[in-house]
Amino acid sequence: MRNSLLIALSILAALLLSIMPMPSPLDLGRPMWLAMVLAYWVMALPHRVGLLTAWVSGLATDVLYGELFGQHALVMTLVAWLVLLLHQRIRRFPLWQQSLVMLPVLGIAQMVLLWLNSLSGNRPPTLLFLMPALVSVFLWPWVSSVLSVLRKRFHVY
Amino acid sequence: MVVNPWRNGRPAIKPLFIKGPSLGVRLFALTVLSVVLMVIDARFAALQPLRAQLGLLLTPLYYVAEVPARTWDTFHQLTSSRAELIAENERLRAESLLIQRQLQKLASLTEQNVRLRELLNSSSLVDERVLVAELIGVDPNPFTQRLMINKGERDGVFLGQPVLDASGLMGQVVEVMPHTARVLLITDAAHSLPVQVNRNGLRAIAAGTGNNEYLELRYVGDTADIRVDDILVSSGLGQRFPAGYPVGRVVAVDRDPGHPFAEVKVAPTAQLNRSRYMLLVFSPESAYGEVLPALELAGEQEQNGAQDEGEQVAEPVAAETADQASEESGDAQ
Repeated sequence: MRNSLLIALSILAALLLSIMPMPSPLDLGRPMWLAMVLAYWVMALPHRVGLLTAWVSGLATDVLYGELFGQHALVMTLVAWLVLLLHQRIRRFPLWQQSLVMLPVLGIAQMVLLWLNSLSGNRPPTLLFLMPALVSVFLWPWVSSVLSVLRKRFHVY
Repeated sequence: MVVNPWRNGRPAIKPLFIKGPSLGVRLFALTVLSVVLMVIDARFAALQPLRAQLGLLLTPLYYVAEVPARTWDTFHQLTSSRAELIAENERLRAESLLIQRQLQKLASLTEQNVRLRELLNSSSLVDERVLVAELIGVDPNPFTQRLMINKGERDGVFLGQPVLDASGLMGQVVEVMPHTARVLLITDAAHSLPVQVNRNGLRAIAAGTGNNEYLELRYVGDTADIRVDDILVSSGLGQRFPAGYPVGRVVAVDRDPGHPFAEVKVAPTAQLNRSRYMLLVFSPESAYGEVLPALELAGEQEQNGAQDEGEQVAEPVAAETADQASEESGDAQ
C-alpha cells in the first residue's frame, strides 16, 4: 500500500476543482477533472486503481453536486472501464494522440450523464453540454504530465 | 534463496495472471448497483440519512473551494480607499434614514392591518420569523440554478422552506443536511410558483427558464390585463411560499394572435446571482415541515378548510384554486 495517499489526494483535489466557483460563461466548459485524474491513474496503475475507486469517487461527486445518488458513480465507472479496456495500447501513445482517444471516452461520459439527467427531468437545451469533454481533451496532456511527474517523484507504483 | 513474490500481502511484481472477477462482470455489478441506488434515491427517502452523513463529510470541500473568492473579498476590503469607505458609509446612512421613515409608516399600517384582519376573523399572521443564512457555494452544474447555504437541519431548516433576499423571493430549500442546505432558485427550469399581479390581482404561474435573468408566465390569456412594469408578488396559493413577497417585474409582453397564450417575461426582483446573505422564512403558511408531495398538501388543506371556516374568509379564492395551482405549478418538485 505504498503512497496510496498521493492517489487519494489527487482525487480529492479533482473533487475540489470540480466544485470551484467559476464565472458564468466559463462554467459551461468546466473541465472534467475527476474523470481525467481517474483516467490517468487507471492508465498508469491499472492493478491498483480500478472500477471500484472510480465508483466510490463518483458517489462522492453525487453527494457534492446534490444529484441523483449513483449518477456520477455510473459515469465514472464507465470512464474507468473504457480506459481499462484501452490502457495497454494508449499508455504508449504520445500525449496528443492520447488526447484524441480521450475525446470519445469523455464524450461518451458526458452523453450518458446528459441521458441520466434527462431521466430526472432537467435536460440542458443546447449541445453545449459537450463542451467539458472538449476542454478536458485540451487539458489532458498537462494533467497527465503533472500527475506522472508527481507519481515518479513520490514513487507510486 | 527463494525470492518471495509476495510482499505485505501484495504481489511484488504486477499480477499478470492473477485476476479477480473479469472486467465485464465488475462493470456489470457496479452498473446494476448504481442503477439500483438511483431508483431508490428517486423513488424513496431511504437514502436520505446516508446522503446527509456523506454530505457532512464532504461539505468542508465547499468551504475550501470558496477560499479564493473570500480571500479576494477580504483583499478588496483591505485595499479599498478611505474615501470610498466614507462615501459608502454616507450612502448607507441616507438609505437607513429612508428605510426608517418607511418603517415608521409600516408600524402603523401593520397595526391597522392586524385590526382589519381581526375584524375579518382571519387567522393569517402578518409577521414571520426569519433566519439569516450565508451563501457558501453555487451549484457546479451550469444547467441548474441551485445554491448551498450555511444553515441546516440543526438550525431548524426544513424541506420546502422559502428563501428570500432583501429585494424579493429567491427560492426554496430542496435538500437539508446537518449543517448546510441546498436551495433551488425560482429561475431553475424545474421550478414554478404561483404569483399575482400586484396591480389587479390577476393570478398566474411563474416558471423558471434555467436562465437567471428571467422567468416566464405560463398560460396567460392573450387578452389578460398585464403590462410591462407590472409587479408580481407571490400569491401563497401553492401553500409553499408566504403571500405578498415580490417575485418579479414584467419586462416584456408578447401577444401573438397565432398563439393561444401571451408570452410574458419577468425579471426576478431578488438579486439571484449577487446576494450573499439570504433569509429563511418560518411562515405559518409553510410550517408543515417535511411534507413534500402536493397530494398530501391538498388533503391536508381540505381538512383545514372543513375545520376552520375563518381561513376561507381570509382568502376566498385560495380554497378553490389551491389544489389546482399546486398541481399545475409543480411547486413540490
